[in-house]
Amino acid sequence: MKNAVAGVGLAPDAAMVTFPIHMFLPGSDIGPLEARRREVYEGLTGWKSGFAQGTGAPKMLEVEGASYEDALVKANHLLLTNLWGDGLPLWPATKERVSWILGGSAAPPDQVLGKFPPRGGITTVETCAIALAMAGGRPEYLPVLVASVEACLAAPGFDQLQATSGGPFPAVIVNGPIAKQIRLNSGFGLLGPDPQRPAGASIGRALRLLQQNVGGALPGVGTMAIFGAMRYTNAVFAEDEEGLPPGWLPHATQRHGFAPGTNSASVVFAAGVTNVRRRGAKKESPEEDALNGMWRMADYMRTPNLAALAGWEKGTPGIMMLAPIVARRMAELGWTQQSIREFLWENSRIPMAHMKRAGAPAWIEIDSNPVTRASIALDPWPVCQKPENIVLVVAGGGHPTHSYWLQAHSPTVEGRVIRVPETFDRLLADADRDLGCGDDVCRV
Amino acid sequence: MVKLEFHDPSGALEVTQPFAPRLATLEGKRVGFVSNEQWQAYRMLPLLKAMLEKDVPGIQVLPIDAFPQGNALIGTEETAAAVKKSGVDAVIVGNAA
Repeated sequence: MKNAVAGVGLAPDAAMVTFPIHMFLPGSDIGPLEARRREVYEGLTGWKSGFAQGTGAPKMLEVEGASYEDALVKANHLLLTNLWGDGLPLWPATKERVSWILGGSAAPPDQVLGKFPPRGGITTVETCAIALAMAGGRPEYLPVLVASVEACLAAPGFDQLQATSGGPFPAVIVNGPIAKQIRLNSGFGLLGPDPQRPAGASIGRALRLLQQNVGGALPGVGTMAIFGAMRYTNAVFAEDEEGLPPGWLPHATQRHGFAPGTNSASVVFAAGVTNVRRRGAKKESPEEDALNGMWRMADYMRTPNLAALAGWEKGTPGIMMLAPIVARRMAELGWTQQSIREFLWENSRIPMAHMKRAGAPAWIEIDSNPVTRASIALDPWPVCQKPENIVLVVAGGGHPTHSYWLQAHSPTVEGRVIRVPETFDRLLADADRDLGCGDDVCRV
Repeated sequence: MVKLEFHDPSGALEVTQPFAPRLATLEGKRVGFVSNEQWQAYRMLPLLKAMLEKDVPGIQVLPIDAFPQGNALIGTEETAAAVKKSGVDAVIVGNAA
C-alpha cells in the first residue's frame, strides 16, 4: 500500500488498517472489520501524513571493520537489514565500483529513465550502475541493463506486474552482436549459471535488485508473488542468431522491426518455465518427429492460463524456444516461423466447455480490455488474438530432445535498442584481460 | 580499521502531491463507494455502509452501485467525472486487486 501511494507521487505513509488475508476469501468471517471500524473512521478523518513534498535523495552508507573482510561482512549485513539484499553475497556499491560500471554507459549518470513502480523510486543510469555493481556486474553489461530497464518502465501496467500474486518475471531476449561480445548465453543452459558466459546472471540479478530496492517489490510486502520463481536473476539470454535457419529472422526484427544486426533488448513478462519433451522415442520419420513435437508444444499451450489474458490482444501468451538444431531440421521440412506460430495458435485453442468447467469465462468478463472481453464469444477460445502474438525464439543447446515454453503474463513485449559508449571496444578488451579470451574458439 | 563507503541502492523518492485533506468529521457528510467487486467487496462494502449509517449521525452513504464497478471501469476518467459530479464529500475505494 505504501508502495502504491508513493508510486503515484503521494507520501509513502498511507492510512492503513491491516487485516489478515483470510478475511478476503470466499466464506470468510468479516467480523474483524466491524470490530475495528473506529480505526477505519480515524483513517478517513484524523490521519495526517508525516511527509512533506519534495525529493529525498538517498545517502551514502558507511561501515567499519577490523579488516576488509570484516567490513565486507558488515556491509552485507547492513544491506540485508535494510531489505536491499537477495540472500546471496553482494558487492557494496562503492564510488570506485560504480564509477567503473558507469564506464559502460552511453548516457550521463544522472539521466533519468523513469520512476520504478510501484514504489516510484527515481531510476537513473547511476541507479542502474549501483544495482549492477552490487550484482557483480561489469561495465560492458550496463547497456543491456539500461535498455532492459527502459523496456520494463515503458510496459503498460508494469506497476501491477511488479506487485501481482502471479509473480511474473522479466525475460530479456537480446539480439545483435553485443550478446556474444559481452558473453551472454544463447546455448546450453542459457537460463542458468554459466562461468564462461556470466553476463545474464549479473544483468538479471541487477534488474531484480532494481525491482526490489527501487521499485519496492519486496516479497509479501511490495510484491504478492506467491511463489516468485526465477526471481534471483530473472531470465536474460540471447537468441542464437547464427543458429537461425536460412531465411528466418531474428526475434527483434519480427517483433519490433529492428534491422538484423541491431543490438536490442526485448522484454517479455514470463510467469513460468516448462520443459516440453519434443523428440520422438522410436522410429518416427523426420516429418512425424516434427509434427509430434509441434502437437506436444501446442498441448502445453492449450490450458486456461488466465495470466495470459493480460497479453491477449497486444502482448503474448509466452515464449516458445526451439533449439537451433530443431529449427534447422524443421525449416528443411518446410516449416517457417509463421507456419509454426499458426500451428501453435490454431491447435492451442480451448473448447469453451473446457473454459467453463475451469471457471475461466468469469476472468475474461472482468478483464479491463474490451477486446479481450469480447473474445468470450470465440469457441474454441484462442490463447491470444493472433498467431503473431506468440514469441518464437531460436535458442538453447545443440540437442533435439526438448523445447521450452515460458508462459507469460505479459500485456506487451517491449523492445529497446541498446546504446553502447564509444569506448565499448576497450571495455571488451578489458573483459578479455580479466576473464580470459571470450571467443568461441577459446571456450570449453 | 577499514572503512567502506557505498551507495544506498533505493533511489530517490519524489513526493509531488499531498493526500486529499481528511474530513474533520463524517457527521452529515455524503460518502460514496467505488468498488472493483473483488476480494469479498460484495460483502464488506455493504457492511461498511451499514456500520457508517449506524455509527455516524446524519451521514448519507450512497448505494454501493451508485458508480461504475469492476476493474475495467473504476479507473476511467468517466468514473472520476461521475464521482466529482455527484458532489460527495468522500469516496471509499475497495477492495484492491
